[in-house]
Amino acid sequence: MKQHPLCTDPECGPSVMHLPVPAGLKREWAALETRRHFLGRTGKVLGWAAMASLLGESALRGDTNPAANHASGSASGDGFKLPNFAPKARRAIYLFMSGGPPQIDLWDYKPNLAALYDQDVPDSVRGTQQLTGMTAGQARFPIAPSHWPFTRYGATGTWVSDLLPYTARMVDDLAIIKSTNTEAINHEPAIMLMNTGNMNAGKPCLGAWLAYGLGSMNDNLPTFMVLQSKLNPKENNQPVSSRLWGSGFLSSEYAGVGLRSTGDPVLYLSDPDGVDREVRRNMLDAVNEINRQTYEELGDPETHARIAQYEMAYRMQTSVPELADLSKEPPSTWNLYGEDAKEPGTFAYNCLMARRMAERGVRFTQVYKRGWDVHGDVTGMLPILCAETDRACYALVTDLKQRGLLDDTLVVWAGEFGRTVYSQGGLSHENYGRDHHPRCYTTWMTGGGVRTGITYGETDDYSYNVVKDPVTVRDLNATILHCLGIDHNKMTYKFQGLDQKLTGPTPASVVEGLLA
Amino acid sequence: MSVPAWLPAGAGSLFPEHKATRRAWLASMVLILVLLLLPFLVRLDGKPHADLEQFIGRFHPLAVHLPIGFLVLVPTLEIAGRFRPALRASAAFVLGLAFASCLLALILGLLLAHGGGSAGSAVTQHMWSGIALTISALLCVLARPSWFAARVPHVYPVLLAGCMLVLIWAAHQGGSLTHGANYLTQYMPAPLKRWIPWAAPASSSFFVQHINPILDTNCVTCHGAGQAKGGLRMDSYDQLMKGGKDGPVIVAGKPDSSLLLERVTLSPDHKGFMPAEGRPPLKAEQIAWIRAWIQQGASPSANTLAGLSIGDEQKEPPPLPVADYSALMPEIQRMDQAQGAKLMPVSSKPADGLILLTVDIAPQFGDAQLAQLLKFAPYIVEADLGRTAVTNASFDTLAKFTHLRGLHLEETRITGDGLSKLAPLTQLTYLNLSGTQVSSAAVAQLSSFKNLRHVYLYNTPAQPAPAAAQANPIARINR
Repeated sequence: MKQHPLCTDPECGPSVMHLPVPAGLKREWAALETRRHFLGRTGKVLGWAAMASLLGESALRGDTNPAANHASGSASGDGFKLPNFAPKARRAIYLFMSGGPPQIDLWDYKPNLAALYDQDVPDSVRGTQQLTGMTAGQARFPIAPSHWPFTRYGATGTWVSDLLPYTARMVDDLAIIKSTNTEAINHEPAIMLMNTGNMNAGKPCLGAWLAYGLGSMNDNLPTFMVLQSKLNPKENNQPVSSRLWGSGFLSSEYAGVGLRSTGDPVLYLSDPDGVDREVRRNMLDAVNEINRQTYEELGDPETHARIAQYEMAYRMQTSVPELADLSKEPPSTWNLYGEDAKEPGTFAYNCLMARRMAERGVRFTQVYKRGWDVHGDVTGMLPILCAETDRACYALVTDLKQRGLLDDTLVVWAGEFGRTVYSQGGLSHENYGRDHHPRCYTTWMTGGGVRTGITYGETDDYSYNVVKDPVTVRDLNATILHCLGIDHNKMTYKFQGLDQKLTGPTPASVVEGLLA
Repeated sequence: MSVPAWLPAGAGSLFPEHKATRRAWLASMVLILVLLLLPFLVRLDGKPHADLEQFIGRFHPLAVHLPIGFLVLVPTLEIAGRFRPALRASAAFVLGLAFASCLLALILGLLLAHGGGSAGSAVTQHMWSGIALTISALLCVLARPSWFAARVPHVYPVLLAGCMLVLIWAAHQGGSLTHGANYLTQYMPAPLKRWIPWAAPASSSFFVQHINPILDTNCVTCHGAGQAKGGLRMDSYDQLMKGGKDGPVIVAGKPDSSLLLERVTLSPDHKGFMPAEGRPPLKAEQIAWIRAWIQQGASPSANTLAGLSIGDEQKEPPPLPVADYSALMPEIQRMDQAQGAKLMPVSSKPADGLILLTVDIAPQFGDAQLAQLLKFAPYIVEADLGRTAVTNASFDTLAKFTHLRGLHLEETRITGDGLSKLAPLTQLTYLNLSGTQVSSAAVAQLSSFKNLRHVYLYNTPAQPAPAAAQANPIARINR
């Protein structure tokens, strides 16, 4: 057997095969060695590695230490720890508004600001906060009141901007959090913090934790799926990267699987001409066999992840076309979501897909909508962004509700931060810009486990600082996990000598006021 | 010492022999007189007075619990003293403390009522009961020595018993003032309520069932027959609609012009926020009900409001724990591998049960496959049979899933015939029939299901008319 250059195992040292002994004895020894290797190595790592695919998905996890790090909720696994308690929500849909939607123009109604037009934000409000390089050099910080009027909606009489006429119809079904706040002021750290609980890259994201902790409900689709939405050419092209849905130190099979926004949802998923299912199966069996041998030699658990992903891709060859086939949707679907939803890759289409994934047992779907980074031309950009998202958000929640899925599906709408009350660049009655603002921003949740029809937290008169019930990113993530039956302090994974968790070492608390 | 002529013979021994104690008697009589005159000196005119009065007065709820404790202790000590005489010796001291604390609480109470501008019959009665209590505690103090010396055996026990009754009356009124008159009866079990005529709502109208209890609990303390702050009373429909000194508080059909709604939705630190004085704000759903009720005419008699169902207000029955299935796990795994359906634990606690998931093999999962799971039926609390091949014939099997709380049958071929066979599933709260061919007639079979709260009928012949669906997209069966 070939010795791996990094192998320090004495078993890999000089072998009997190199000794001057009769060939018959060598053959006998080889037979013994095979058995010893089989028992020794596989016993050390994952006993039934060779039978991985036969034993079903939970054996394909590739955990380095199944006893310490196994968290699956599946009955077919070997024991289970999660969920910690009976969850209200079995799955979640996260509508990620990347770029930082301006809370002042959408949710956080500040009628007093109209009178303060073009006055400077008082220093006492800004305090010693460090601003971004984009506005730190501004001589003035003139207050830009929202360009759009607000109206009260629903039985709760919640104020909502005229930019969100559809979302406004369902305010009674939402828990609106006005006091979300973050520590990061720039996109990459802020968006990493929202998704992985840490500003530095390399930690598993929320979806990966959920896939790891709760396991799959549908073996034919990934547990965690990511949908990217198309961008209007005018919108700010602030990018998002795949590490936002990466699995960090968890096995890579827990990483989000992205569906493309144009063309085939998954590249090269369909078999080429002349290759039928049978051929594909044979090929995969052979590749899996080779991978298994590699695993036996090197013991790298990522090999299992690779085998699992090939198998998943094989099953997705039939499940994804069925998932993406919208031809059987009733006309009421299109009345609800609008014609936009017929065009693959639009936010509306993705929301419809998210509902279809929820129906099919996908544990966590994250829909990214970029373009909210409105540093300038707020009055030009916001109507476009809201037209793309407002109706679709309403349609998704309403659709889940009428189909009886909202009872056990958590829906979260959030960006990575808010935007400043003061104008970035020139302020006129017609237009203004807004810079990044971490100290307060508005997010909403609904569905399983959420107390709906409430507004949680308050900001000051300038929508600058939180004055009541602050919700940190850690708290938000702890609350999301709680809705899914997970105690954020208990779902940990040993890595680099630490019990790693989504909410990190700084204390976080579940926001009881948001729970039903 | 001569005994007053109007006293019955034998009462003489009540009166003290010594000069010092005679002086104490005299002082007590003066104090009683002052106490009786107090309400006429400090008139409760319903107007707030000095802030300092209120500041001190607000310690009344704190101080008021002292005399309660002391007074209850006195008879306890007296009775226990029959067996351990040392206890009886301390009773006199405790009685003195009781009187002193009564006096303190009374003064603070008067300051609170006068300073805060409380008025009304409940406050007046509470005040008089407080005065009566203080006086009877004082009389007890005076009567005790002669009872202790075995000269007058009956006066003190009778006074003490009377004192207890006055205490109960005063304390109950105080409680009603702070917590609302229906505080004790609100969560009284229904069988008990039937015996107490004033505890049971007389009508099934939305106002009586839902709005009135909110007002009773949160508002009537200050805006009722007892006190009527701002000239507003909310203890009856007519009074409520009449409004207060700032005009009507409810404008039928116009929630945004209704003062009541405006005040309860202000920011809690706003001066005009209601409920005032740091009481907890109304819950969002309560505000929603009030808004919907005003929006739809603020009627005293309408039984239901369009677009609003308060089915959830009744608590869902606590889930029936299932037996431990851990021993069956190997068998469950074998079944999982053989058949492809998953049985997933709801949580790490076996008592939370299992969820049946069929999504992997939905097209092949039919009535026969369901029947194979019967062995695990008592452990399954939720069955996800959406998009499977099950038919009406599955109802016979499902009837044996006795712990089932949620049942998904969406987009299956069931038509609903025989839905009534699910009647043994007393735990069932959720039933999803969306995208099936169930008819309204079939759904009607569900009306007798006691705990069933969420029935989804989207895309079925039984779906409610679009107008109703617009207002309330979830079809719920209200009962």
